[in-house]
Amino acid sequence: MSSPTSLTETRHSSPVPRRDAKPKLAVYWTGSCGGCDVSFLEVGEAIVEVLSRVEIVFWPALVDAKRSDLEALPPGSIDVALINGVIRTEENAEMAKLLRAKSKYIVAYGACAHLGGVPSLADRWGKEEIFREVFGKGFRPGPPPGANGEAALPDLLDAAVPLEDVVRVDYVVPGCPPPAPLISRFFGALLGGEMPEPPHVFANVKALCEECQRVRHDDRRIERIVRPHEVLPDPETCLLEQGLICMGPVTRGGCNALCPAAGMPCTGCLGPTPEAGDPGTAMLSALASLVRFEDEGEEYFPKEDGVLEALADPLGTFYMYSFGRFRRKR
Amino acid sequence: MSKRSDARNLSTRHPSRVTRRGQRIGVFVCHCGHNIAGVVDVKRVAEELSRYPGVVYATDYEYMCSDPGQDLIKRAIREHRLSGVVVAACSPSMHETTFRRAAEEAGLNPYLVECANIREHCSWVHNPGLEATEKAVRITRTMVEKVKGNMPLEPVEVSHADKCLVVGGGIAGIQAALDVAEAGYEVILAERSPTIGGHMAQLSETFPTLDCSQCILTPKMVEVERHPNIRLLVNAEVEEISGFIGNYRVRIRKRPAYVDPDLCNLCGECEKVCPVRVPNEFDRGLLERGAIYIPFPQAVPSTYTLDEETCLGIKPLICGKCAEVCEPGAIDFDMSEEVIEEEVGAIILATGYDLYETKALPEYSPEDPDVIDPLQFERLLSATGPTRGEIRRPSDGKVPKTVVFIKCAGSRDPELHKPYCSAICCMYTAKHALLYKHAVPDGRAIVFYIDIRAPGKGYEEFIHRVMEEDRVLYIRGKVAKVFREGDKLIVWGVDTLSGQRVEVEADLVVLAMAVVPPEGVEELARTLRLSCLDENGFLKEAHPKLRPLETLAGGIFIAGAAQGPKDIPQAVTQGSGAAAKAISLLSAPVLTHSPEVAEVDEELCSGCRVCAPLCPYGAITVEEVAQVNELLCEGCGTCVAACPSGALSLRNLDDAQVERMVEAALAELEGAREAVEVKGG
Ligand SMILES: Cc1cc2nc3c(=O)[nH]c(=O)nc-3n(C[C@H](O)[C@H](O)[C@H](O)COP(=O)(O)OP(=O)(O)OC[C@H]3O[C@@H](n4cnc5c(N)ncnc54)[C@H](O)[C@@H]3O)c2cc1C
Ligand code: SF4
Ligand code: SF4
Ligand code: SF4
Ligand code: SF4
Repeated sequence: MSSPTSLTETRHSSPVPRRDAKPKLAVYWTGSCGGCDVSFLEVGEAIVEVLSRVEIVFWPALVDAKRSDLEALPPGSIDVALINGVIRTEENAEMAKLLRAKSKYIVAYGACAHLGGVPSLADRWGKEEIFREVFGKGFRPGPPPGANGEAALPDLLDAAVPLEDVVRVDYVVPGCPPPAPLISRFFGALLGGEMPEPPHVFANVKALCEECQRVRHDDRRIERIVRPHEVLPDPETCLLEQGLICMGPVTRGGCNALCPAAGMPCTGCLGPTPEAGDPGTAMLSALASLVRFEDEGEEYFPKEDGVLEALADPLGTFYMYSFGRFRRKR
Repeated sequence: MSKRSDARNLSTRHPSRVTRRGQRIGVFVCHCGHNIAGVVDVKRVAEELSRYPGVVYATDYEYMCSDPGQDLIKRAIREHRLSGVVVAACSPSMHETTFRRAAEEAGLNPYLVECANIREHCSWVHNPGLEATEKAVRITRTMVEKVKGNMPLEPVEVSHADKCLVVGGGIAGIQAALDVAEAGYEVILAERSPTIGGHMAQLSETFPTLDCSQCILTPKMVEVERHPNIRLLVNAEVEEISGFIGNYRVRIRKRPAYVDPDLCNLCGECEKVCPVRVPNEFDRGLLERGAIYIPFPQAVPSTYTLDEETCLGIKPLICGKCAEVCEPGAIDFDMSEEVIEEEVGAIILATGYDLYETKALPEYSPEDPDVIDPLQFERLLSATGPTRGEIRRPSDGKVPKTVVFIKCAGSRDPELHKPYCSAICCMYTAKHALLYKHAVPDGRAIVFYIDIRAPGKGYEEFIHRVMEEDRVLYIRGKVAKVFREGDKLIVWGVDTLSGQRVEVEADLVVLAMAVVPPEGVEELARTLRLSCLDENGFLKEAHPKLRPLETLAGGIFIAGAAQGPKDIPQAVTQGSGAAAKAISLLSAPVLTHSPEVAEVDEELCSGCRVCAPLCPYGAITVEEVAQVNELLCEGCGTCVAACPSGALSLRNLDDAQVERMVEAALAELEGAREAVEVKGG
């Protein structure tokens, strides 16, 4: 699977964009940390080239634009809208719908828009519980002191949800934030006129281990579970074999396995591979398979249970970026 | 990006070979006499199934597996142009083959036939009534759903090597090697020691017929040496076994003997001048040998051997006296180790046994020269032994007038020693007592025993003869202690029948030590990369009753005491049995295997290697991507469940099929929908 190295090649025409015009681009953030907006810089100088070949019609982080400007645009007049961030508030949802109406293609950019991201871990609790915990009993979001009703803060939705829960999503550029090779892959396709049929995720179908240079041994197994701050991992061996919970086996590749290369286990930001499905259950079955001692049999079950019990924060480990997508919806 | 992976970029499931269109399934419900029909309303099952989507024909019959039952299926396949068959009857492990073969005869691919188990899974475990019938319907529907997703398959075929490796040259290995060789296949017989023969060569006479052990063994040893189809490797150990049934690659390391067997004329001059003296293994230390020696005169191959471990030194040469006196110049200090690599189709493990060490029983004063193990006693009895068959005790060479035999020494003692019965000690102790009484008619033979186990042909009679005709004293009870007092060994025991303490002044004590696995068997097991040892360390059979000569690794068989304590007739029987198994494998033109195995979708496999170590049959190897060896895979599904990438699936039992089966099983049950909620990404 190759990703374009240069972003400037234009070989084929495709419906998006028209050949004669620069594609009209919108970038918007919903419940986001801001990292996604910064991530474009990751591709380096090439971003200048990219920006020169698109027409930015709306990008609050970069150019001054109001919601009313967006509302004024005719439907379908934006070619591609990149939305990053989780859908947490009513306003997030409204803006997403507005962009959907004005755009030919919607791109969920980054893990939050893709799967709910880190903020969706809040979905472990209901909206009321969160208010109670953070602001105390009886709290209601209202206008700030002295302001009138119009300035009221937007209310929270019942849950923090991925973009696809409120609008149809055509493309995904996954990651927290999206890594440079995947951003390049996306813009390469867009500017090269080679956009795949939607829906499409700009990342590999195979799991991360495929790209990872770490050695997996024949009789690989886990005899203890440790957290990254507790060990200095051996530079050659697969992190799982060293007891670090690496989500590589269930996570899409495409990032060149940057984290495992640096000794940090994969936390799953590119989302599960299409066949892995729910990353928690897939990872749990992988772990249950790997946790094992030299001998097997019933007498080892308590020992094996003991190993798995050392797994701190299973929810945050297995669904760090995807709880919004995979939690069981009531 | 390839087209296909593009299409899968967001897929949530294998693009499964979804249900084949235009299904015409036939369902055949068996009464199994009263076995099923007595509990399940079989007519109703057939009737309900006849209304099930995809089913075009459903009927019931008394005995589906009978000839008329099979004919019924065949006729229906032709008349109703069936595209799949479900037989609702007993477990597929019983008659799946029967029904598949019948279908094949009627022109239907056998892998489109499935058994719905409404006997073991239903009628045998439920009371008669509506619920049992309802469950039988569900089970049958489930299999209809499976058949709908089945693809016609062809058995896997693989060629194989036509040699056989036999490991261990005791009587079991000898018999196996001779039988396979006689059938026309090449045999490599690898024996660790310098000669074949095993423990049987050490025995004097054999129970219950008392024929001379060496007299019946040595002709077979010679036959091995002469047989054109047998390549005998002594001083040889198997270092590595890789591959799979029919196609094993073995590497054997053969230590140099430093003596050319073709030149050695057995003059023995070398041993005479050798300054080294160490205990002789063959005589269990009752005699000594040089560093250059022959284990016993009839050893095969017939040659002296230089034991590098005890020689004063070869590299560099320290002494070299033997070579100086060797007339034919047979001794060659430059001989080097050989590594032999071979492709073999079958392997027979016949590595035999050892005796539990007497020093494990300190209460019996094992360090005393007159407290001996039973093989030492065999050597004392043997005409070729250290005393030329006269019974003289090791300490002072006197003829012992009272000999005490202690049975179950280290056996049947789960707390401290071996939990199992060593099976042969009752018989050889009786033999020992009898042979002693024949040699020393005025001597006393006293046997301490827990009970007597003599189930073989003529064995019980033999014991009676020893007790009655030869007036050996059998005392039921355990011996607490053996200790020396001057010239005598004092034996303290309890007669559990009379409840009285017994004290015997003995001249010689023979401990009938437990039979244990030979040293090195763990390493051998490790090279096989299979759990093939039982809890006591003996080689484990695939099934204790139905597959006693096989291991879980296809094409690897076991014979003789390697599998557990046994006597010569049993060891020989197993040798021949394992040979027959090997021959039937080697004589097959190709090996066939069920195609219902796991397969890897290479476009999904990331090479994460979660699967490989899990496979109980060692069927998976991973390079860039995983590969399943179709001949080894037993279709257990372990790897499929484990693969985090969904790259593995079982042929004719893929995820989509399983989901439809679960749905069919739970249809219309409360809460069932939720239970079937499946993955999706
Ligand atoms: C005291 C005593 C008396 C007995 N008397 C009788 C009797 O009267 N009648 C009777 O029927 N039975 C008798 N037996 C039992 C008899 O000895 C066994 O039944 C028989 O020897 C079993 O033969 P085997 O080939 O299975 O094993 P073994 O005789 O033990 O042969 C195994 C061979 O394998 C070789 N080997 C082991 N490991 C390896 C390896 N890793 N690689 C290569 N080679 C290896 C060994 O060197 C040996 O040559 C007696 C046993 C004892 C202890
Ligand atoms: S370190 Fe992680 S990504 Fe790399 S091989 Fe191991 S599990 Fe896979
Ligand atoms: S060289 Fe070794 S074997 Fe030969 S006589 Fe000397 S010690 Fe014995
Ligand atoms: S299905 Fe079972 S036997 Fe086959 S490869 Fe997988 S784990 Fe091994
Ligand atoms: S577990 Fe699955 S993805 Fe991993 S190596 Fe095996 S087949 Fe490939």
